[in-house]
Amino acid sequence: MYYPFETQVTPLTTIRRQRILPAPGEVLVRADQRVEPTHTVAQAELPGDFRILPLARLLGVSLSQVKRCLRVSIKDTVQKGQIVAKRIGHSIESPITGVVTATGSGRMLIEAQPALFELHAYIPGIVSNVLKDYGVIIETVGALVQGIWGAGSESFGVLKRLVESPDEPLQDRAIDPSCHGAILIGGSSLDDATLKAAQELQVRGIVTGGLPPKLIPQAEQLPFPIVVTEGIGSVPMSTPIFRLLTTNDGREASISGKLQPRWDVVRPEVIIPLPDDTSVPAQVQPGSPLTVGARVRAVRAPYMGRAGTIKALPTNARLIDTGARVHGAEVDIGQDEPVFIPLANLEILR
Amino acid sequence: MAQYQQIGSILLADCGTAMTKVVLLDRVGEQYRFIAWGEAPTTTEAPWADVAAGIRHAAEKITAITGWSLFDGSGNLISPELAGRQGVDAFAATVSASPPLQVVVGGLVEDLSVAAAERAATGTYSLVKAILSGENRGVLKEEDLVHVIHKAAPDAVCIAGGVEGGAEMPVLELVRTAALACALVEPSSRPFLLYAGNSRLRQRVVKIAEKRAELRVADNVHPTLTEDNLLGAQTELDTLYLNKMQTLPGIDVVSSWSPTPLTPTARAFGRLVEYLWHLGDPSKGVLGVDVGAANTTAAAVFDGQLSLTVRSGLGVAFGGEHLLQKRGAECITRWLPEPMSGDEAYELLINKEMRPTSIPQVKRELWLEQALAREAIRATLETARPGWKPGAAQLYPHLLPLCDTIVVSGGVLAHAPHPGQAALIVLDGLQPTGVTTLVLDKHGLAPLLGSAAAIKPLAAVEALDSGGFVNLATVVTPVGGQARRGDTILKLHMTYDDGSAFSVEVRYGDLEVLPLLPGQRATLELRPLRRFDVGLGRPGKGGKREVNGGLAGLIIDARGRPLRFPRNPERRQAQIQQWRWDVGG
Repeated sequence: MYYPFETQVTPLTTIRRQRILPAPGEVLVRADQRVEPTHTVAQAELPGDFRILPLARLLGVSLSQVKRCLRVSIKDTVQKGQIVAKRIGHSIESPITGVVTATGSGRMLIEAQPALFELHAYIPGIVSNVLKDYGVIIETVGALVQGIWGAGSESFGVLKRLVESPDEPLQDRAIDPSCHGAILIGGSSLDDATLKAAQELQVRGIVTGGLPPKLIPQAEQLPFPIVVTEGIGSVPMSTPIFRLLTTNDGREASISGKLQPRWDVVRPEVIIPLPDDTSVPAQVQPGSPLTVGARVRAVRAPYMGRAGTIKALPTNARLIDTGARVHGAEVDIGQDEPVFIPLANLEILR
Repeated sequence: MAQYQQIGSILLADCGTAMTKVVLLDRVGEQYRFIAWGEAPTTTEAPWADVAAGIRHAAEKITAITGWSLFDGSGNLISPELAGRQGVDAFAATVSASPPLQVVVGGLVEDLSVAAAERAATGTYSLVKAILSGENRGVLKEEDLVHVIHKAAPDAVCIAGGVEGGAEMPVLELVRTAALACALVEPSSRPFLLYAGNSRLRQRVVKIAEKRAELRVADNVHPTLTEDNLLGAQTELDTLYLNKMQTLPGIDVVSSWSPTPLTPTARAFGRLVEYLWHLGDPSKGVLGVDVGAANTTAAAVFDGQLSLTVRSGLGVAFGGEHLLQKRGAECITRWLPEPMSGDEAYELLINKEMRPTSIPQVKRELWLEQALAREAIRATLETARPGWKPGAAQLYPHLLPLCDTIVVSGGVLAHAPHPGQAALIVLDGLQPTGVTTLVLDKHGLAPLLGSAAAIKPLAAVEALDSGGFVNLATVVTPVGGQARRGDTILKLHMTYDDGSAFSVEVRYGDLEVLPLLPGQRATLELRPLRRFDVGLGRPGKGGKREVNGGLAGLIIDARGRPLRFPRNPERRQAQIQQWRWDVGG
């Protein structure tokens, strides 16, 4: 039995997303409440900037003399430019507006007012759980596509297909004013000009099969999220993903480019909410072993990004091009004959 | 240990970043034997989010091979063993799947106390996120240093500095800065403050840290100008890593199966290498290298002293892209037998990070992965070697000390399509000297047996000889002499056990592979020329050595140390290809 990793490419499923504050705060919604993507569901005050003033050195006095030079006390609120310590001929001003939180060893610590952090719902749906002081779980019904690489944060917009086929690159000339506020569906790759055009027209996100490695630093600075479905380089978007996205062309979707490849993995994704009354079909048990008939995708060359169906799971290991003998599967990827792909290079599309 | 006396079968598991391995040992007659092993992807993430699931998946392979059922229908380990090959008497596990400890280290002088604190940190799975030194205090304001610590968001801030009875004020200033930085962090994520500097300052350090940071104190890591004492700090950091390990989903279940505490994989690996040193020539060292998906570990034992170095975040799946950014693509692509652009290498390395359990299916990607393994080994040695005390085993200052045995572990070596490829990765990465036996840990047993030793030391010892470890090659490396490419530098006469014999003249620059199969023994008569040294006493001194065969045979590595490449890319690629062909890979 082999238990491959899974990528969700699901036309209809129940989707739950946990929305958690970075620090304890206040939850602003209640259970069973309906929320929209831009709805603030919780907020928290995050520690702001701070400054350490080396008063003894700045005033030119010994540590024991600092105390008598102080013009403010601990817990005092100070304004930027306000004098906090003084001796004849010298005065020290606060470089920020904040609160004096510590003095000692000839220093003063001033902490700026905390910054308000607002947590948005990200997806439209119903609040299914309230996690007191920390956040909520939001539930919706819709389609879900997980990416493999991403950048940027979260957004919401209308899906807009800009390529004819999944192996076509997304080009700048395809981006026109109608793309303003849209999430663009591309194909195998894109280039620098495409990213610039998308930025100029203020798109809400891009979904692409591949991304040239040179564009990674640029993609990480974009004001909108980008979701790469197959991998870095020029890789045609796998057929099931392209089909799912393009059949939802014109629908509203949430997109997240957030990526954490290890430990508490976070994968980039596109969520397409569907009407509440849509009934969700029975799902295959997640984490199941690979079986004949399973829908899979190859994750390494020479078949990277190709999706297909398992036709056989040979018992014996076979020789591959590298000279290694490995266990694998015969996969129908639409060629004349099924191809042999190592088990380690397959993932289930669920 | 009384409860362990009746132990028969033992299941051992290693939960790595990418793969989980399990091994079944059992008593066969009077001896413990290696019975079977299984491997499956680690399951710390969705849809499983349960590290125990990966152990069950890997154990299913053992069940399929042996018919031995290990878990009941609810997924619980059956223990003790029941009649009819059900369950095991004991279980132990090692773990490297949890995130490394994020550490900020500080000290007075970068080459002394800071370096010692860094070495202490590399004794466990940790990432040094920032360095504070007395030297940069002159450049950065205290406020900047506090910002440095904040940005790093560490689990621990380790402050060293001041030899015993030495500097005081600058160390206390550093402690004050670190304590202030800790105090400014929200209590739930506040880092520990580990003080491992001048011990005379401990009471004052306690006072400074009071109410600001949770303080831990260890022996001074750099008590004199010429000496390190890392054990105390390493133990403290290891404890913090063990605490962090508890955050892995499902780890509580795995813990509940084991009568002994879970062990960090590197620590268990080191334990086994330490044991192997006791079996060999005490004048030489024993070195263990484990190239994992996300970490590379070097465990070196000289004069009975273990030095453990974990290069966290650098393995064959993770860290390649970072290494390429830091040192340039050439540092990896120079090992390839054909051209590859920096962009292509970058692309392949990032994709591997996204799918860490995937394997190369085309030669180009295999070569890149093996090239990265070479550089991961080299980078780990760079970190490790300043902490070694090899004594007489150090023939030449900048070369690897003499090692009787080098144990190598990790999927990239164990699953290399040809054993010659695994041997060449090790030779290129480590560049050993003299006569050395390379031992391949085929199934990742080394850390597992290190953990078995905690339950039943005899099981670890006996299982060593029962099939999990194989001789990869015996390597003879003449070093130290002066020659031009093509000059004869070694005359070798090899007599097999069956009496057959032949002689070879080895030329400088060559990589010779002579047939000597696993299980075969031979006597080597070595006559180095041109003052080359094969580790038999002095330059030019020859002698006889009994050697064992290996999967890749007997390798004479006369390429010189350190290895040098032709500058011309085409000639360099041809040279790399030639070396591959020489070892049969």
